[in-house]
Amino acid sequence: MLSDPAALTTAAAPRRLPLGLPLLGLAILLAVIGLAASIGAVPISLREVVGGVWRGLTGELSGPLDTIIWQMRLPRVLLAALVGGSLALAGVAYQGLFRNPLADPYLLGVASGAGFGASLVLAFSATVPLLAQLGVPLVAFICALAAALLVTVLARQGGGLPLVALILAGVVVGSILTAATSLTMLAAREQAAGVLAWLLGSFAFAGWAKLASALPFVLVAAVVIWLSHRALNLLALGEEQAAQLGLPVEAFKLLLIGAATLATAAAVSVSGVIGFVGLMVPHAVRLWVGADHYRLIPLACLAGAVFMVLADLLARTVIAPSELPVGVITALVGGPFFLAVLRRSSLHRREG
Amino acid sequence: MLLFRTLLIMALWLATALASSYPLTLTDEQGYTLTLTGEPQRVVSMLPSHTETVCALNGCLTLVGIDDFSAGIPNTSGLPTLGGGLFGFSLEAIVALEPDLVLVSEFGELAGALRQAGLTVYAGSPQRFEDAFTFFEIIGQLVNRQEEAAQLATSVRAEIAAVVAAVAGRTPPTVYYELDATPFSVGPGSFIGVLIAKAGGQNIVPAELGDFPMLDPEFVISADPEIIVLASAPYGESVATVAARPGWATLTAVVEGAIIELTSAQVDLINRPGPNLGAAVRLLASFFHPDAF
Repeated sequence: MLSDPAALTTAAAPRRLPLGLPLLGLAILLAVIGLAASIGAVPISLREVVGGVWRGLTGELSGPLDTIIWQMRLPRVLLAALVGGSLALAGVAYQGLFRNPLADPYLLGVASGAGFGASLVLAFSATVPLLAQLGVPLVAFICALAAALLVTVLARQGGGLPLVALILAGVVVGSILTAATSLTMLAAREQAAGVLAWLLGSFAFAGWAKLASALPFVLVAAVVIWLSHRALNLLALGEEQAAQLGLPVEAFKLLLIGAATLATAAAVSVSGVIGFVGLMVPHAVRLWVGADHYRLIPLACLAGAVFMVLADLLARTVIAPSELPVGVITALVGGPFFLAVLRRSSLHRREG
Repeated sequence: MLLFRTLLIMALWLATALASSYPLTLTDEQGYTLTLTGEPQRVVSMLPSHTETVCALNGCLTLVGIDDFSAGIPNTSGLPTLGGGLFGFSLEAIVALEPDLVLVSEFGELAGALRQAGLTVYAGSPQRFEDAFTFFEIIGQLVNRQEEAAQLATSVRAEIAAVVAAVAGRTPPTVYYELDATPFSVGPGSFIGVLIAKAGGQNIVPAELGDFPMLDPEFVISADPEIIVLASAPYGESVATVAARPGWATLTAVVEGAIIELTSAQVDLINRPGPNLGAAVRLLASFFHPDAF
């Protein structure tokens, strides 16, 4: 599935981006954002949403509805889109790099690092004022990057980064940090529910500030990953082949791991650990448009964004005005959906 | 009122009449039967509200060990602390104390492990408001202090009735009670929800959301509570962090500065369905109706 030779031959020559599918994806994303912005704990008509956004843009907010639309719901929906998109991007990058269908954005310990950082802040900010000052997103972000860095350092052998060593180091560091997080939860039992809710992911308290703090990292990572489409297609042949065809494999690995880690850490730090999206969305999109990263990268990004906006919409409407952790929705709803996609595609293949 | 007093006298009479007949057999909340052959002399309490109740019934001297969270309860200094009641308990330390009665929560694995070790265990804990009074009675029976238990129930009910009377007729302010910054809150049916109502507050959380709902922040904005109580304050939440949340700066409670940052001692007071129930209701009422006290 990952080593589609047709993708390679077409990737060899420069070409224009086929605009049809990405434009369709963008249109769907905009429609879904509009839908999600008008549904919530407080019912708001689409007209009021548009009016509220306009008054927000012109700085003339009036009344609680405008506050909800402009300061809470719109940034929340956009943050969900950003996080979904970046997790899908990171998933594509890792799956392409590791040529392993089980690779996901959390492969290198980013999630457990972020989770550990967040649990520290949630549990001990009363006793350690510094933690309270730094806040959950920043500490989670730092711990996520530190975990990935530790994994990379541990996996280094000679001048290279063997993929198997990376995966193993990721598993080990991940287990240790998960254990440390559990320990923290037991030490601060009153905060255990809060830590668990964070670990399952949530977009409550999303605001423009969170969006702005994550956006630069995601943008940089997105550009790097997008520019790597040809290299990723080459890597589908295996590292040796790719090297023979002129790819500086070790340098490329480091660059791509850095970019994907940055995107994941930024996403996790503002939303918690949302599983499934980074693993399944790239697979589903690959079944749909093929393994060529030229198409796969932008479309997976859009699909991840659409999926996450819808998942968050469900998370905050199913038992409104209570919420469910969005990570529960991504797994509960996304799992069966992905199985259906997988089944249909294998049936097609058998018939065709 | 007359009916209430009659019931009270009957209860008092029953309490004295039924005092101490051993062997005493009881069934706990896990459905296990325990038998006490005499008044317990060495009691271990692994739950703060049980520790408080035992002490309030003049039974503090029978205690030989307590859980970590009971540390700090008056007259318990010097007692060995044996770990948490749900996690991190030291089974061996409890067994080594040779208690003739151990009071534990019905949740977790401690009760089963202690029974396995051959100890006499009562597993159960007050979860709802009325349970607090039931447990005065149960613990009174267990430590042979039924009369004190009846008196305790009477005085706590009187304390609460005094607060209810003081706030009666006043317009209840709408209240958002925040357990943590997720945000988890409390429903009206929960123990704390009842305290809020007794203290003359109007919880913004409707009953159908359950006892400990994880709220959509939008809901808090639309409910626009007049008072915000931060049980999350010991964990870093404050007037400043609440005001900095997207969309919260314009809330009535934020604009008018009606945000209460609870200390961890106050959170303990409110969280424990025990003898300090009256003080907890009074504390909340003093936030909701400061001019009434």
